[in-house]
Amino acid sequence: MQNPRDIKDNRNRRRRIYIRRKVCRFCADKSLTIDYKDHRTLRHFITERGKILPRRITGTCAKHQRRLTTAIKQARIMALLPFTSGHILKD
Amino acid sequence: MKLRHYETFYLLHPDLSDEERTAVSEKLKQIIISGDGQLVKIDPWPLQKLAYRVQKQTQGYYVVMEYGASAESIIEITRRLRLDEGVLKFFTTKISQEFDAEALAKAREESAPPSETVETVEETLNSTQSTEKREEE
Repeated sequence: MQNPRDIKDNRNRRRRIYIRRKVCRFCADKSLTIDYKDHRTLRHFITERGKILPRRITGTCAKHQRRLTTAIKQARIMALLPFTSGHILKD
Repeated sequence: MKLRHYETFYLLHPDLSDEERTAVSEKLKQIIISGDGQLVKIDPWPLQKLAYRVQKQTQGYYVVMEYGASAESIIEITRRLRLDEGVLKFFTTKISQEFDAEALAKAREESAPPSETVETVEETLNSTQSTEKREEE
């Protein structure tokens, strides 16, 4: 998972030289589908606290972001993803 | 009666035995068939850790069921799942407005043989990294 802080650091270091344009993952690979049951893929789009990552960080396009948010919310209902880290099970 | 393509995803109690778990899907299958519906597939997942506690349970068995059914059968299925104490959570979604069993069977036949060969090749290539396969897809 990408840490938003890492991205910011990278940007500061090479701001003048080159900023990499992020591409939507689901547009780049058409075979990738957004499915609420596929929690392994969805995990890339939430923070450690369980919040949904904004588009500006993940680079997802508007269309796929809309689908992602509903998928993440559905996965939360089914206990595949956490609502918040406070409820995450510790063993 | 018009058939639509549905999918039910439900979570079962971790203490249920294999027979009890198949009994739940058997029961749902009967409801679908008695309502002139058609079952596409039942996909039980292995025991999995949950993201948060559900009815004091930390683990559970997920099952994915895909079928074509009428709206009346869906009402019956949800009623049934609500009554069953072994079912912790369930979620029914409509995949499509139309249910075409022949087209589905055809698509499955076409996709099944090549996907099998691809899987075996990938397994031999990187048998250690099974998690990466999903990401590649």
